[in-house]
Amino acid sequence: MSASNSTLGITQLQRQNHARVTPGKRMTTIVVMIVLILVSTYFLLPLVWLLISTTKSGSDLFNTPMLALPSHVSFFANLHLVSTYGGGTFWRWYLNSVFYATVTSVLSTLICTMAGYAMAKYQFKGRKFMFSLILGSLLVPGAALTIPTFLLIKFLGMMNSYQGVIIPGLASAFGAYFMNIYIQEAMPSEFMDSGRVDGASDWQIFWRISLPIIRPGLVTYFLISFIGSWNNFFLPLLILNNSALFPLPLGLQVWSTYITQAGSGVPPYAQIIMGSFLSIMPMIVLFPFLRKYIASGMISGGIKM
Amino acid sequence: MHRGRLVPYMMLAPFFILFLGFFIYPFFYSFYLSLFATRMGSSQFVGLNNYFVAFSDSSFWSSIGTVIYYGVLQAVSVLLLGMILALFLDSSLVKGKAFFRLVYFLPYAVPGVIAAMMWGFLYSPELDPLLKIFNLFNGGKSVDLLSTGHLIYSIVNIVTWEWAGYNMTLYFAALTALPVELYEAAKIDGCNEFQIALRIKLPLLRPMITFTSILSIIGSLQLFNEPFILSSLTSVPPNYTPNLYIYNMAFSYGNFNYSAALSFLLAFVTFVASMIFLYFTSGEQRRERRLQKLADRNRRSQNQVYSPVEVGGQV
Repeated sequence: MSASNSTLGITQLQRQNHARVTPGKRMTTIVVMIVLILVSTYFLLPLVWLLISTTKSGSDLFNTPMLALPSHVSFFANLHLVSTYGGGTFWRWYLNSVFYATVTSVLSTLICTMAGYAMAKYQFKGRKFMFSLILGSLLVPGAALTIPTFLLIKFLGMMNSYQGVIIPGLASAFGAYFMNIYIQEAMPSEFMDSGRVDGASDWQIFWRISLPIIRPGLVTYFLISFIGSWNNFFLPLLILNNSALFPLPLGLQVWSTYITQAGSGVPPYAQIIMGSFLSIMPMIVLFPFLRKYIASGMISGGIKM
Repeated sequence: MHRGRLVPYMMLAPFFILFLGFFIYPFFYSFYLSLFATRMGSSQFVGLNNYFVAFSDSSFWSSIGTVIYYGVLQAVSVLLLGMILALFLDSSLVKGKAFFRLVYFLPYAVPGVIAAMMWGFLYSPELDPLLKIFNLFNGGKSVDLLSTGHLIYSIVNIVTWEWAGYNMTLYFAALTALPVELYEAAKIDGCNEFQIALRIKLPLLRPMITFTSILSIIGSLQLFNEPFILSSLTSVPPNYTPNLYIYNMAFSYGNFNYSAALSFLLAFVTFVASMIFLYFTSGEQRRERRLQKLADRNRRSQNQVYSPVEVGGQV
């Protein structure tokens, strides 16, 4: 602990000094703080509204003011409603989403780490070519690939299957690029040399020495990949029509189409609101702890997922 | 040593095979598909005919027009809001920075589909919560935020909510990597906080601004999720955005060949738009590079990476 205090750099001290508020600034500070708090309400409003709305029955949604609690809290009634609506597929979708996101992110992290590691730590023929291919592909909009990817999945007989959703997303160019950059920075080649001297094979070095060293980068990419596949909508939309395989966003979207469809009974507003709430809950709760990892990865790669 | 030489290829193999299969191959296959057309039940080679059709397809070009207009609005609101927030949070005027950084970035944790649905509900006349504010500006008459005329602004708002904090995070990290000495010097010269933000921080953010603008251009031209979700609450034209048109061309009308040609054309338009943007911003690049060099000297890491901020920078 004391070591980290003594390494407090000059810039750190300057930064603290720079941040000191002088009395003359007080008025400006108050104005700026008011603006920032107003902006915060903008960002929080839909989430607060969603939370409050989970306590309202279908008719309360229309009859009570937007941010007011209803006279009778129907949170558990809504929970029951969402669990049983449409044959009770909601929790199945939840499990599907967890499954898609977990498998995709674990495998993608491993695949992209190996690729990034090979390009960062080995000299081999085709290394430069591979790297430029990956960089170039970051500029290609996904739209150009939609139709052929769909046809390819169809050709491979992976329509309406877990593989069909998972496999196309595994080789992320962003992932390989990010891991490559990270490994170059965080993993000194001397560790590999000392492993070799001790008689370890390349694979042993990779698993036993390198992976533990680059763990923070692995966590970052894992999280970005997890969120990316948790949010994935377009590919499942194209290749799934068996509702038992839907991930949450697709399932909820299908529910939302019942709102305007004639003859599908009472519009499922309450179900969709509760379903949305349940599907963003885990990430919102974990986000304060994960923010730092996610931000550092985004910044070094800087690619919209 | 011989085995060691194979190792990098073995490590690269899983990625390479999947990348080849699900990126490179679809890319070229898309072009191949676009050269055919289904005539009287069988697939025929038609050369570039699909592209000629596309050039005079007003449905396609009007969708391009929509997303260009949308892109300008979106870039202004998302990037500007992100930048202003980052500059505020980097100034000495604000307390509780960690809290604001978290709140602004929080929408990143919400799937785009769910964000669009939440806002769709907030816009809905039936649920009526936000509308009353807008009625005030319309002389007490009610405003339908989901009507065709207002749809684009409603989408810009959703996207701003989703991505402003993301861009703020990028800008904020870039600002944290700048050397504090510059501000000290400016302060001694008599600059106040706003002048420092405007004259020193903003010019140094240039590479990051260029970078986020490119992402913004690519993202705007590909707009799909938000209009697609809103189409279950209101009527959205099937050719509202190029991607929506491409989707409907393939999956509602079953014309995969023409759809592939449109995809390719959209990718091309995106590429050209990015290049035009880069061309107009690169004039100032030499000046910017000089400033960047000054900033680089003070960086913790010597390793220059593709993006302007190094890995593990303070965020």
